[in-house]
Amino acid sequence: MSHDELGGSEGPALGHDPFSQGDGTLPYLIRLRERSVRRIAQARAPASARAEPEPLPQDAPDLGPPVPELPSFDDRDESAGALDRLASWLLTGADEERLAQIAAPLGGRLYDDFGMSPRVARRALAVFKLIYKYWFRVSSSGHAAIPEKEGALLAANHGGLLPFDATMIVCDAILAARPPRLVRTVVDRWAGTLPFVNVFYARVGQVIGTRDNVRELLRLKQLVLVFPEGMAGIKKRAAERYVLQPFHLGFVEESLRHRVPIIPVAVVGADDQAPVLWDLQPLAKLLGLPFFPITPTFPLLGPLGLLPYPVHYEIAYGEPFRFYDEFPPESVEDPHAVRYMAEQVRRRIQEMVDERVLARRAKRR
Amino acid sequence: MRRVLVTHVESAVGRRVVKALFHDPEVALVLALGTEAEPTYLAPYRGKVAYQRLDLAKARHLQSFWHSERFARARPDSVIHLPFAGDAPGERVPGGVPSLVSETRRLVEECVEKPGIERFVYLSSVFVYDPEPGNGNVVSEGQLLGFDGEGDPRVRAWIDADLVCQGELHGSGLVMTILRAATIVTEAGEFLNSPPLARRELAVGYDPMLSVISDRDVARALVLALHADRPGIYNIAGNEVFPRSQLWSGKRRLAGLPLPSPLGEALAFAERLFARGPAPGESFERYGIVPSPRLAHEALGFEPQYRIEVRSAGGRRRVDTVRCR
Repeated sequence: MSHDELGGSEGPALGHDPFSQGDGTLPYLIRLRERSVRRIAQARAPASARAEPEPLPQDAPDLGPPVPELPSFDDRDESAGALDRLASWLLTGADEERLAQIAAPLGGRLYDDFGMSPRVARRALAVFKLIYKYWFRVSSSGHAAIPEKEGALLAANHGGLLPFDATMIVCDAILAARPPRLVRTVVDRWAGTLPFVNVFYARVGQVIGTRDNVRELLRLKQLVLVFPEGMAGIKKRAAERYVLQPFHLGFVEESLRHRVPIIPVAVVGADDQAPVLWDLQPLAKLLGLPFFPITPTFPLLGPLGLLPYPVHYEIAYGEPFRFYDEFPPESVEDPHAVRYMAEQVRRRIQEMVDERVLARRAKRR
Repeated sequence: MRRVLVTHVESAVGRRVVKALFHDPEVALVLALGTEAEPTYLAPYRGKVAYQRLDLAKARHLQSFWHSERFARARPDSVIHLPFAGDAPGERVPGGVPSLVSETRRLVEECVEKPGIERFVYLSSVFVYDPEPGNGNVVSEGQLLGFDGEGDPRVRAWIDADLVCQGELHGSGLVMTILRAATIVTEAGEFLNSPPLARRELAVGYDPMLSVISDRDVARALVLALHADRPGIYNIAGNEVFPRSQLWSGKRRLAGLPLPSPLGEALAFAERLFARGPAPGESFERYGIVPSPRLAHEALGFEPQYRIEVRSAGGRRRVDTVRCR
């Protein structure tokens, strides 16, 4: 059967048609296979055994020096890395080892799916380690609650104007947990709209709080840090310090769906780092901000007034809640059950916070 | 044995699909449709591939081909439709992008009505999703589509065509599979299906993550979808994600303001800082989309096999696709 019999006149450029018998496929496949075999043999041959290039004839024109090999991105970044050198100076061998353990799952990739770059995270850790050790003088306890490999949701109280509480928990999980774990903080969607901030957050491993992001992280057995109080936690006034605000419920639902424990985390110190005296809502609305705080130093000292006071931080990890042992995944459909579980977590964190705050007050007396 | 009709075979992905189908023992015949004269690359594949020049954008061309003797003899039972597979950023589509939507609509309607055609595989893009604020957010197939009336007309066309195919997901008797691909990288280092890379300027303070996939992996996914007979929507992406700045360098300019560069940058920064949201059509320049291919892995058995590396070459960025295994 020829291609004319197939109605070839209806379309130009039909060429040889597959319906015809005795096509030329076989010789072509043989040629293709021979060529592949040749190529594989060439690639496997040692460099010395490969054919030397033809030498240039004696009277060849002077072509000048050979073109230097172009640098790759990594090389260029390496040569410009004043920050990398600073990080090398600030980080100890043990810190580097911990960072290497955290970067290992990436398998040499420069970025993970959420935009985390081990290189930027290393630079950031070098700086934040100073803040962790000398500015906030962080002391922490209860690291045994952090799983070695499995995923978990860390639920913490939120306070202070800038999210240094999250930063200190991330540093603590890298510097003090055994083995070190990278904590992925779930940040507000508003932070994703901020120029530079959104890039920095992503590069150091923080993620925007979308359901898909959280689900993917839990599927990858990562530690996900949530602040169930949300924005209400950081904009509460000085008079409400260390009083936990009502919790959002999404973290309980994700815990039930993915069968991961919820680890309560109490942070003491964050609420004292920048006490909010007043929230100037009309100005916040005008600027498109979630709130506009007035503190003893902001806006009096300008942007410098946003810097946290050098308060002593305490971080405590509590016994994990494993609600999925008692409640089936379908419980996410029951708002009363979910609210009950969230309330359990809130009460436990409040107790942990109160214990430490009272101990501090007793110490001062 | 499948008998497959493939559209837009002159595109980079179309070429890969035809080659993959040629080597697939489960495929008996490939009927390749293109708008231009027969591509030269088809010459060695004529044993199994027949080419038909056809402008799908013209209704009567499609009608006349659909009822022709040639089509009746070919008896295709599956269709792989790649309307946007050759869509390089900044390139004009002859007849305009909306013509690709109408051709998709017509083709789907014809396939639903034609008794012999059992399955339809459609290549869409992940840029049909509505991007959430953030440098790189993982999106699953359940994410809302970006119905932005003032957005990029190209993206609007992709969404329209995607919706046309979604309309036949259930109850039409056609096994409809929609694959939403990340930014496609060809062997020559070209980017396809990527609105963020259509503009050279970078938005100050933003550097969204872009997920990339090799054109060979896209072709593999299409062939897997053809054989899997699993109707649904699936994201497909490679293993690598890059910040946009690494794939396409550029500098933000403020049009119409002849200001010294640092001042222009500062103004652009202030503009972004206090703007409540991105300007129409700018979302993809600020916010990244990283599709989760988990469903494609589970349902179709898709695993990306090609690694993509970015290298600099004389100040310009070059993209290499490297075989992984």
